[in-house]
Amino acid sequence: MKQLPVQNTQPAIEISDAELLTLKNGMQLYLLPANEFAVMRLTLLFRAGSSRQTIPFSASATANLLAEGADEMTAREISEQLDFHGSYFDVNTDRDYVYISFAMLSKFVPETLRVAEQLLLHPTFPEEEVETYRLKRKQRLKIERQKVDVRAREAFARAMFGEEHPYGQCFDEAAYDHLTREELVAFYRQHYTATNGFAVCSGRTGDKERKALCALLEQFPTAEPTPRPTFPAINQQREVRLKHEGAVQSSIRIGRLLFPREHPDFVGMQVVAAALGGYFGSRLMQNLREEHGYTYGVISAMVNFEREGYLAIATQVGTEVTEEALKEIYNEIERLRTEPLSEEELQLVKNIMTGEMMRILDGPFGIADVTIENILCGRTNRVISENVERIRKITPEEVQRLAEKYLRREDLVTVVVG
Amino acid sequence: MIPYQKRILKNGLTVVVNRDRSSKLAAVNILYKVGARNEDPDRTGFAHLFEHLMFRGTRDVPSFDLPVQMASGEDNAFTNNDYTNFYLTLPVDNLETALWLESDRMQGLWITPEKLETEKRVVIEEFRQRYLNQPYGDQTMLLRELAYSVHPYRWATIGRSTDHIEGATLKEVEHFYRTFYRPSNAVLAISADCDEEELFALAEKWFGALQDTPFTHSPLPQEPPQCAPRTKIVERDVPATTISIAYHMGDRLSKDFCTGDLVSDLLSGGDSSRLYQHLVKDERLFASVNGYISGDVDPGLFILTGQLLPTTTEEQAIEAFHRETAALKTIAPSDYELEKVKNKFEANTLFGELNVMNKAMNLCYYDFLGDLELVNREIDEYRAIDGERIFEFAERIFRPENSSTLTYRAR
Repeated sequence: MKQLPVQNTQPAIEISDAELLTLKNGMQLYLLPANEFAVMRLTLLFRAGSSRQTIPFSASATANLLAEGADEMTAREISEQLDFHGSYFDVNTDRDYVYISFAMLSKFVPETLRVAEQLLLHPTFPEEEVETYRLKRKQRLKIERQKVDVRAREAFARAMFGEEHPYGQCFDEAAYDHLTREELVAFYRQHYTATNGFAVCSGRTGDKERKALCALLEQFPTAEPTPRPTFPAINQQREVRLKHEGAVQSSIRIGRLLFPREHPDFVGMQVVAAALGGYFGSRLMQNLREEHGYTYGVISAMVNFEREGYLAIATQVGTEVTEEALKEIYNEIERLRTEPLSEEELQLVKNIMTGEMMRILDGPFGIADVTIENILCGRTNRVISENVERIRKITPEEVQRLAEKYLRREDLVTVVVG
Repeated sequence: MIPYQKRILKNGLTVVVNRDRSSKLAAVNILYKVGARNEDPDRTGFAHLFEHLMFRGTRDVPSFDLPVQMASGEDNAFTNNDYTNFYLTLPVDNLETALWLESDRMQGLWITPEKLETEKRVVIEEFRQRYLNQPYGDQTMLLRELAYSVHPYRWATIGRSTDHIEGATLKEVEHFYRTFYRPSNAVLAISADCDEEELFALAEKWFGALQDTPFTHSPLPQEPPQCAPRTKIVERDVPATTISIAYHMGDRLSKDFCTGDLVSDLLSGGDSSRLYQHLVKDERLFASVNGYISGDVDPGLFILTGQLLPTTTEEQAIEAFHRETAALKTIAPSDYELEKVKNKFEANTLFGELNVMNKAMNLCYYDFLGDLELVNREIDEYRAIDGERIFEFAERIFRPENSSTLTYRAR
């Protein structure tokens, strides 16, 4: 057999800082030029996620209905123009933010930005579109909630933060009936402003593109930053079990409330999460899938919100082996707390994490995604090499110490649906 | 546009390389020309189960994933009806790790009864998670069974039942490995910032010495033309009824492929498409609607599917689909509308060439189809489609006797 070739496992991982332009209205535009590509992507972020809403579903509905009609273009014209130029428009709402992206061919930048201007700055939220939306979403949510996985995700958020907490809340589909056009207009006016978000652009961005971007983004109104809502105290439930008629698999979520990304132990806990269930050969994957065949997959990761962060483990297992699987998961967590990882296993985890970072950074759109994450934590792209350095320096003793401190059995939240 | 060079090694292995000057990663893709269509009808799901086993270690390398991950790499694979594809990215300095591992498992796989048993359980859980424990999970399986009578496309890649997976034996595993996993039945593609000659030399170094034992397999049963409409109704515990209609069309290298793909974009590519505008927005018959081609190598299917709103009857839904396909036979799409779907194809092609992995994967796939040049020529094929071609396609394909209609009724 031929020998394993020598491996370079310490590749340098760094990307340059984004160029920041502060526009006349206060809007911040970050540029990541990559002129060798004939494409461009513009992403806007606003602090307009569901934790900012007072009426259920109004945050996501506002974002999702932006393209359904504007002052000078109907919904049909908007979609026609985007489709005609092969441009992609995408919105995504999470608990804290709304993300709005336009991906386009460089040759169709002016045409795409003209549509962007209409739907970003002059949306009308037509009554009949709101009505269709309510109908379709209700049906979709009903279908979604037939899946054990979706029910587990929702129950887990409730158990972790409490039913009243904006990070834990889930609403009945009937709440869509109370969604009005007026509410969407008000939500849009309040949150989609120059001072309540920022923009990131990557790909080919020469002088022409810059001018066009500034001309578009400068039109957002300047407003007082919206006040940070006060969150109620977190109210956890340690264990929740829900029955799901006819399920052949149970969905399991186990987690521990920790801290957001700014915390000095966040990166260390990412290493712990990776060792536990962050890759194909992880402890949980080895145990539940490779040794026992209980599951098709299991994952653990650190999840980051603006104000909180937690470690979560997620899997679906055969209903008949649910109890065994739970026991094995707790055992694997306990093993991390009581024995240090071998040097070799830790080296593997480190290499996987750094390789993963390289893969995300391959291509202009991935670089933009990482830059956005960094901006949200108030950091420049230098934090990437700092984090890589931090990962490369961590010792088995430190991993054990972190697991010991943060993953005590009595602090874990467990949810099973099945 | 993906620049490439191609050579065939003495043992029959096809090697295609692409130099990418912008990435720090190398992508290695290896495609084996075997999929669910090559399975025994009583042992369906086997090609996919076998793909899983390829990660179970060889005599020399007990774990495939471990050295990949140690090299900061990531690997995965998928199986479909036509082929099995293994792919991997890692820092370019570690490229040889990938070649070493892929060459090692092309001939040194070592499966024990214990490994097989565990992997069967994993695949059965995958079957349950994706097809049994999901609303609408078995819908496409039912549609295949209805549309095909003899061609192996009548079953899905995951297989017809978990019993088939349960019953797989070690002897079958060995036979399958010898038959399909060999140099002349595979295509290797590498995309990285390396000189092309250097890449060919590395391919020769790691794969050149592997033996090839050619194997002739019997031709697949081809589907006879369908002569009468087929319908099937099933009842399930789902919140909304869906209707799907499948029509037989030509194979991947026929003119039908591009035309069918373009027609599916006219019907449902984006929110401005016909089905969405007419049936979702104007008439409010469906909550969602889709038109797509199966994209298989052998003659495939053109599929229309939609989820009904509670106020819509099944007859109304089917009638609406028929109206839309009939319109394709009578009114030519405007130049504007054709330009739109062609632009969309061009944009998708460009967005898809932004990273090394997609490029290596595409190179393998088009070589497997038997027309590697098509990877860069296909855009012209789409550009050449005119109204006449669409009329001709619609006339020939959207006929009642060529259709299979599945009603997936909410109980």
